[in-house]
Amino acid sequence: MVLVILRRLRDLVLVLFVVGTTLFFLLRSIPGDPAQVLLGTKASPEQLDRLRADLGLTGPKYEQYLNWLGNVVTGDFGTSIHYQQPVLQVIGDHIAPTLTLAVTSTAISFVLTVLIVSWAAVSPHNWVARFVNRATQFGLALPEFWLALLVVYVFALNLGWFPTSGYTPFFADPVAAVPQLVLPVAVLVIGQTAFFTITMEEGVLGELSQPYLRTARAKGVTERRIAIRHVLPNAMLPVLTTVGLNFASLIGGVVVIESIFVIPGLGTTLLGAVYARDFPLIQGVVMFIAFLFVAVNLLVDLTYSLVNPKVRVA
Amino acid sequence: MTATLVKKAGAPPRRRPLAPVASFARHNKTLVVAGTLLVSITVLVLVLPLLLTDPNATDPARRLLSPSLDHPMGTDKFGRDLFARWATAGRVSIGMTLLITLCAASLGTFIGLVAGYFVRVGSVIMRIVDAWMAFPSIILAIVFAVVIGPGMLSELLAVTIIFTPYTARIIRSRTLSLATRTYVKAARVSGMGPWKTLAVHVLPNTLPLAVVQCVLLSAGTMLIDGTLSFLGLGISPPTATWGNMVADGRTYLQEHPTMVLFPGLSIAVFVFLLNLAGGSLRAFVDPRARLLLTQQRRRRKVRA
Repeated sequence: MVLVILRRLRDLVLVLFVVGTTLFFLLRSIPGDPAQVLLGTKASPEQLDRLRADLGLTGPKYEQYLNWLGNVVTGDFGTSIHYQQPVLQVIGDHIAPTLTLAVTSTAISFVLTVLIVSWAAVSPHNWVARFVNRATQFGLALPEFWLALLVVYVFALNLGWFPTSGYTPFFADPVAAVPQLVLPVAVLVIGQTAFFTITMEEGVLGELSQPYLRTARAKGVTERRIAIRHVLPNAMLPVLTTVGLNFASLIGGVVVIESIFVIPGLGTTLLGAVYARDFPLIQGVVMFIAFLFVAVNLLVDLTYSLVNPKVRVA
Repeated sequence: MTATLVKKAGAPPRRRPLAPVASFARHNKTLVVAGTLLVSITVLVLVLPLLLTDPNATDPARRLLSPSLDHPMGTDKFGRDLFARWATAGRVSIGMTLLITLCAASLGTFIGLVAGYFVRVGSVIMRIVDAWMAFPSIILAIVFAVVIGPGMLSELLAVTIIFTPYTARIIRSRTLSLATRTYVKAARVSGMGPWKTLAVHVLPNTLPLAVVQCVLLSAGTMLIDGTLSFLGLGISPPTATWGNMVADGRTYLQEHPTMVLFPGLSIAVFVFLLNLAGGSLRAFVDPRARLLLTQQRRRRKVRA
């Protein structure tokens, strides 16, 4: 077990190294002088030189790279040009909304998926079971940015049930925070639930053809009990992996949702950094997202090995 | 197989020429309906711009009109006819989707073939491919938009890079099993070079899989294309795309919700049809998907 974790931590470092290095050279291959772009044409040569030195843009490329690498290893991701703060601090200030959105929507989707698929599995002939497939296909087809605007139009602008945008930290003021979270989380939940449901449906069908079910039926176990005791727990496992793999597209969705609902999370920060050409911040946020992705998948795999004894071998 | 043999043995010579087509259509209703609709929408957006006014012609006297007979989708803040813009946007969105899908599928097929056939190189390639897959697609597209500048090229590169690994993995696993077939080995033994063997014996057998993959990929491509255009990181105005039309309409959501509704709905419907078509096509090449489909059909029948 310890060995597995160590191996995964090594992979984590490798991924971060590759992502960071690629980004470093990509961002520095942009034609033009970032310092000039940032300060405009009226800047004096002294100002330009000072900013270049601040950005680590002096000296040959490999020297810049080694400097940057040394800083990163010691936990220094540089200073955001726009915020005038260390990159890590900017990330820390904006991580809470993103995590709130990601975690709540994933949790709700997971529970919903289990409920829907269980219902369909226990009573396969009612209307839910027959419409699940088409509904999930349609749920997968809805563009998040469009769905978000539609729910804003219906539930915020017309019915006035929820605010159109904004974000309040949950622990600062739960009464104000929850209504603001409902619409953005709902949009994320629809897409995710559709995706999880498809995975779990396939899992259920895979289990249905297993020979142990014939044994159970021969013993006289009822269909309902077979579904609940045998099929569902086994079908749930692939969904767990899907949660991890889906994290990448979830982050993509969160970026869009944050920008529509004006939520000050990592997505908004990244888009802002892109428009402001804040290279240290872009690099920091992207590396952080890569880190999150690997960490989430590590967590999922560890949970998986806890739930499923078959894969517990190191 | 047996059915055709039996038919040949005591077959009545009279045979309706369209019978196989009709039978195919009866057994694959979803595929036929979805396919027909997809083709009709594509033809529609190809033909309509020829008949309608210039999508970029402004008319300050007719700003922000609601849908009417003259302007079926209304007009925008410059007085441009939104129906004409919708049609040209469809051309761009569907065109970009096709282009990106073709690039990703051919690159993915190539990588998959090489990685599956040359095993040692393959394992290294697949490591890299796995690392690609790990990356949030929107984030990658954002990075490319920064490096190259937002537009068609950055979108093409970013989305191709995102979707290539999926095809590569599937084609590789197929190639791995094909490479052990006797006819492939026979070809090698009889002196055919590895590249020619790949092209003549392996590639044709992976093509059905690649085609299905294409359809499924294009659904994802269209969604990402829409999202990037919406964020202003894809093809930029004044060229209309369904994504940037939604972004344009966003300001007028309260008064003119149709400006957001129509282009977004077009994306949703198109992607939905692609998903349906891809799902039923998958049943031809993937036994798991076939099982899923028959199971669902049985479910529906019991009730009906």
